[in-house]
Amino acid sequence: MLQYSPDFLLDLYARMVRIRHFEESVKFMFLEGALPGTIHQCQGQEATAVGVCSVLRNDDFITSTFRGHGHALAKGLTVEELLCELFGASTGCCKGKGGSMHVGNMAKGMVPGIAIVGGGIPVAAGMALAFKMQKTDRVAVSFFGDGAVAEGAFHEGVNMAAIWNLPAVFVCENNLYGASTHISQVMRDTNIARRVAGGYGIRTEQLDGNDVVAVHEAARAAVEECRAGSGPVFLELLTYRLTGHSRRDPGHYQPKEERAAWSEKDPIPRFAQVLRDRGIADDSVLEAIAQRIASEFDEAVEVARNAPQPTVEDLLTDVFV
Amino acid sequence: MRFELKMPDLATTDSEIRIGRWMVEPGEKVHRGQPLLEVETDKAAMEVESVVSGVLVEIVSQVDDAVSVGDVIAVFEVADTAKSSPMTRSAPEAAPSASDRSAAGTSPPPVESTPRVAEGAKGGMFARKRGAASPAGYDEGVRLTVAERTASKRLQESKQTIPHFYLQTRFKASAILARREATASVKLTWDAFFVRAVARAMGRFDRFRRRLEGDRLVPLATLAVGVAIDHAGELFVIPVVEPADKSVEEISAEIRANVERLRGGDADARMIRPAAMTISNLGVCNVECFLPIINPPETAILGIGKVAPCVVVREDGQLGVEPCGTLALSVDHRVAGGRYAAEFLDAIVRELESA
Repeated sequence: MLQYSPDFLLDLYARMVRIRHFEESVKFMFLEGALPGTIHQCQGQEATAVGVCSVLRNDDFITSTFRGHGHALAKGLTVEELLCELFGASTGCCKGKGGSMHVGNMAKGMVPGIAIVGGGIPVAAGMALAFKMQKTDRVAVSFFGDGAVAEGAFHEGVNMAAIWNLPAVFVCENNLYGASTHISQVMRDTNIARRVAGGYGIRTEQLDGNDVVAVHEAARAAVEECRAGSGPVFLELLTYRLTGHSRRDPGHYQPKEERAAWSEKDPIPRFAQVLRDRGIADDSVLEAIAQRIASEFDEAVEVARNAPQPTVEDLLTDVFV
Repeated sequence: MRFELKMPDLATTDSEIRIGRWMVEPGEKVHRGQPLLEVETDKAAMEVESVVSGVLVEIVSQVDDAVSVGDVIAVFEVADTAKSSPMTRSAPEAAPSASDRSAAGTSPPPVESTPRVAEGAKGGMFARKRGAASPAGYDEGVRLTVAERTASKRLQESKQTIPHFYLQTRFKASAILARREATASVKLTWDAFFVRAVARAMGRFDRFRRRLEGDRLVPLATLAVGVAIDHAGELFVIPVVEPADKSVEEISAEIRANVERLRGGDADARMIRPAAMTISNLGVCNVECFLPIINPPETAILGIGKVAPCVVVREDGQLGVEPCGTLALSVDHRVAGGRYAAEFLDAIVRELESA
């Protein structure tokens, strides 16, 4: 901890708060009927996205899932381009054609979210292969959940990256549930990092995914190995979704005690406490961050509300016809 | 200012959402994010959170009401948005109703250069969903009536959970025809004969006066015989109470009276009333034979086909022509075996042939 500058740590904090504020506010906008479709949110999982993306360059790529708001904000997409996308506006990061499940921005190193479970894994392996063949030191990072581990695409992507030593970091956000199904119902050995190490012969690491600094450090080591040509690396980040799978899912399958226990490990108040304990920030500093992010969000809402919607002619652009 | 809380889009399909329970009362102060009520969607029961902080003024949708996405379910009095906390601020701004917008004065002026300005965002997705016109020629399907939905649920349950088996036979109708001819003043309904025959046969076959409950055969609450009636496309059953003790004339009059009440829109006549066994007659529709679905909690149902002249082989081996009809008995095999049911069906035939 001591080696990090206060600015860096406060930035990590602000990034997590930005994601939480985004998710909480968007939840109400959905309930009010301001947004089309449903949304899949990541409250409670902010440290994984922020910790991993804090070690990535703009020209490194990530792949994400249907639960991609946090990854997008962590990778440098703006609140405004995301909100516009959620409103279906043509100023959105995918011109309003992707919506919540497919946020991304190729110029900022994020492939639009792939909603098919495990779908981003072979894509990341493919990008990593390209980076290696182009003799660059860029890295591809794939975010996915514990449910993706059972997909054939997972095996294909991870195995191929392993045999070719590709610069790919596979980040499994293990939040204990594949939609509503507990991990213990679909895996005999629920230590995913151990399974992957044994099955694919690559370095894996299982760690507390709600400790943003721990995630940052594990990701930094993994990315450095990849840049040095000794990838891939698999990270299993233990975390928890403090909300339903989607807005139409009340999450009744999460036992109350389990959710309460994980709420205690909520990465944001936890890191706030670390910052206070180390004298890096007091409550007024943290409150100022929250205020700044709230007003930044409110401004983005105003923009998104008034942004133009795609036209009928736009149906035929950016698609194969 | 007044804030109308609309039902969020919580169902996975366009199905209705049922109000389960209100957790707050009018006059109560609520905060944004506070669970207000429980609802049942097609997929799950869940809580609906308040999108505003304020005082609940009125509960619009009551428990058990079925509401659609975007319906106003409650009314709140909320503070002027400009003065509220940062957490409450973005909510009404995000999707204000027209009245809120003018009252709060937070609406941006119309942007003239972009006439297509986020219609969905401004009017809300609720408005967009409801306002969406179907393309010409698109058939949205026909929604079942409440009675049809009830019937479809019961029939599906019956066919899926009751192991049906079917017996089919023929009866000679000359006795019935003679009886009908004899009472030419008031034509006796065919169904009256079948109701009486079934009732009298049931008196000798105990199992058909019982229903299965767990692993016990318990007596049915009534010995009425029901007559299935198609009224304006909806399925009803008219029960004839204690028909074994009634004459064919009485039964016939009773059935006619009940049909008239049904046609007259009598609400009582539309009520589901229990019977011990139902008969269903499609003879008038030129059907020879059909296998009906048991009407739970009954144990059997009789399907009646048309009566028509048939070639028969007489006892002396000679061919002849006689008016005959077909019967098909659907039986719950958990309650009765094949032979037992066959004897029951034969008893019905004997009753009909000696009418």
